[in-house]
Amino acid sequence: MDRMPANGNDGKLDALFAQYRAVFPDPEASANFMPGLWQRIETRRSANVNVFRRLAQVCVGATVALTILMGMVLIPRFEKMPVYSASYVDVLENDHPNTYVDIFKGDIK
Amino acid sequence: MAMLVDFEIIERARSGDSAAFNQVVQAYRKRILGTIARLIGRPEDVEDVGQEVFLRLYDSLDQLRTAEVFEPWLYRLTVNAAYDYLRRQRRRQESRMSDLTEQQVMLADAAAGGKRDVEDQHRTRVRELVQSLLGRVSEEDRILLMLKEVEGLSLKELEKIYRVNENALKVRLFRARQRVLKAFEAEGLDRASLEREGSGS
Repeated sequence: MDRMPANGNDGKLDALFAQYRAVFPDPEASANFMPGLWQRIETRRSANVNVFRRLAQVCVGATVALTILMGMVLIPRFEKMPVYSASYVDVLENDHPNTYVDIFKGDIK
Repeated sequence: MAMLVDFEIIERARSGDSAAFNQVVQAYRKRILGTIARLIGRPEDVEDVGQEVFLRLYDSLDQLRTAEVFEPWLYRLTVNAAYDYLRRQRRRQESRMSDLTEQQVMLADAAAGGKRDVEDQHRTRVRELVQSLLGRVSEEDRILLMLKEVEGLSLKELEKIYRVNENALKVRLFRARQRVLKAFEAEGLDRASLEREGSGS
């Protein structure tokens, strides 16, 4: 590091760090390291798959429940709606009896 | 730091090739385990933290932009895993120590010490002294200081790992070192000189 000139204690601290480095040389991994790692990877992977599966199940369940609820609310409403047996022209005629003809007659006069 | 595998192998691992991933782990595990050992100071937990690092690497390899930034990326994962470990450890230690009286702790230390040979005792003392000095700074600063002072990483390398500019790193390092140095002057020098006398006789 760009450090100021080391005093005595600075040097001793550096020596201590160097000793510490020597106390912990790079260790060899045990024979179980790689199998253990892959086991953890598989566990994590299956946990993620389970989370997605659970999420998908929840979504499907919620969709089914919502569909049933909507059906229960909407179907009785449709059933209560009046059923028209008359045609569109009949309905218009009932609503406006002879109006057009009267106006037309009035214009001629 | 020299690259231990070809970019091509990293690219293959990135695209989901398990054999290439194995090659990457095998190339880097010794170096990473060594760094972890020195960062956490507990040999018995090194492999566990090392596996966590490579597990995180496996999960995040697809987010790596280019193979060129692989090493800083791996070191960042190592730093984060070590940091998580140290935080967990501190919490655990606080609750464990509160259950024991000081006398019990000293007795336990003495009993454990009696069984070790001289070299083991020396290693333990150096380890304990450094751990105690580093206990004066936060976990983040402790790791930063270790990477610089013990691992010997340059400021440029630290800049890539931390994604912080060099001046900010210099300031943090300077402050952390000053605090450790102060603690060393207060207690460590005596212990270190005792240690030298002990090993000299």
